[in-house]
Amino acid sequence: MNRNFTQTISVQCDDPSQIIAMLTQWDLSQATSDIMGYMGTRLLADREKLGQYVIVADFGVVDPNVSAADEAARNNTRPETRAWAAKLLEVIDGEPEYHHYDEIYRTDR
Amino acid sequence: MVPCWFVSSQPTHDVDQHDIHTVTLVARGIATAVAPEDGITEVQAELLEAIASALTGLSVDYRSLEPLSAEEFADALAARDLDFRQRIVHHMVLAELVLRPLPVVVAHRVAKYAEALGVKDDFVRVARRYAQGAYGLAWMDLQRNGFVGHVLDANEEAASAKTAKVRDPFEPAKEDVELAAKWTAFAALPEQTLGRCVWEMYDGRGFDLPGVAGGAPAYLAQHDFVHVLADYGTNLKGELEVFALIGRADPDPKGFAWLATLLGLFETGYISTTGFFDRDTRERNARARGMNQRIADAIRRGKIVCDEYGTDLFEVDYYELAARPVDEVREILRVPVKAEIALESGSVGLFDLEGMSETQQKVYAQRREGKV
Repeated sequence: MNRNFTQTISVQCDDPSQIIAMLTQWDLSQATSDIMGYMGTRLLADREKLGQYVIVADFGVVDPNVSAADEAARNNTRPETRAWAAKLLEVIDGEPEYHHYDEIYRTDR
Repeated sequence: MVPCWFVSSQPTHDVDQHDIHTVTLVARGIATAVAPEDGITEVQAELLEAIASALTGLSVDYRSLEPLSAEEFADALAARDLDFRQRIVHHMVLAELVLRPLPVVVAHRVAKYAEALGVKDDFVRVARRYAQGAYGLAWMDLQRNGFVGHVLDANEEAASAKTAKVRDPFEPAKEDVELAAKWTAFAALPEQTLGRCVWEMYDGRGFDLPGVAGGAPAYLAQHDFVHVLADYGTNLKGELEVFALIGRADPDPKGFAWLATLLGLFETGYISTTGFFDRDTRERNARARGMNQRIADAIRRGKIVCDEYGTDLFEVDYYELAARPVDEVREILRVPVKAEIALESGSVGLFDLEGMSETQQKVYAQRREGKV
């Protein structure tokens, strides 16, 4: 079974448009480069906590011998990922909070 | 009145000469690469068999072939040029794109076979994204590498061409008085001319002309001339045929993006919308009875256009050709007649009711009764 992997990044930010621009650019670069586990991202705004956002990044299996979590770990070591994370620090307030999940159920599989 | 769908006798084109050993070897490589764990599916086998038969004139049963490793396949095709090997890879991708779900193991294996053949192809990657479930990235990839890059290249190569210049073939239509006037003027051309026939196609179905609000974008409207020249209907099956022909007629292998997109829209649903076409998988159109033969014949016809005319059909200045008889334009563009097997498999003509969608049929009937 191909189990997807998800990373969430919780951030505080006054202007989410900067994050959206960064995510858009990231998606464009990923779409036109060699395939890896990254599938796509959602950016969610907290309705109760103004300025609180969650970036939800999904990873999937592209090689039957490599898990989605391992694909994400590989992604984590890439220079462009490091650069993106460093830039994120410039547009958010405080430190981001990371969480990691294995997908165990999805409606539309 | 001579109907526009009348197709006069045209030169027949024999398929290229092939030997059964080579055709079987290629089929073994493709079948091994694209087979899911339970074996090649009926849809895959029927489509691949039809394509092999249309292009080579030889029949191979894809269900009962001995496996061929990627290395053996690469050795077998070592003497072939990159264009040939890339077209073979596209046949593999085509057999992937009719699968939903597309198993990761298949998409990964096809990538390995393509790599062994020395082919780095964007469509292999698009298929891998489908298998992964990354549909958004897949569409971005297909747009940017399959269409936009290709269209920009074509624009640069044909800087003096009179065809529509676009950055994205699916960019929304713009109102354009000059363009609308050109299309309106087609109505006054003599019967059986390309312009008159394409105008009748629009008028009979109630389509808004390019250039007016609600009309097709100028670039995409180019494909409507091919509906006339190739005599394909305008329902979803007809669209699959016309884009299979256009895609293969393109000397640039990136033309395969058209068929890949139409399959994503009208067969598997991997693509939700292109802005102009929207997903419609109520009927699985590529696996419908006879469609394997119809798509295969469209690919065969496209290959002949590619070999003998050698220009992307989206880059043709149809406005320059509009006043000429359809048969004459067919001869200029080297568009061959349909194969008998395609006709027997239900490939109807542009003005046959069966070649129209339900909505188009209703409008057509109303127009004939003078209600619209």
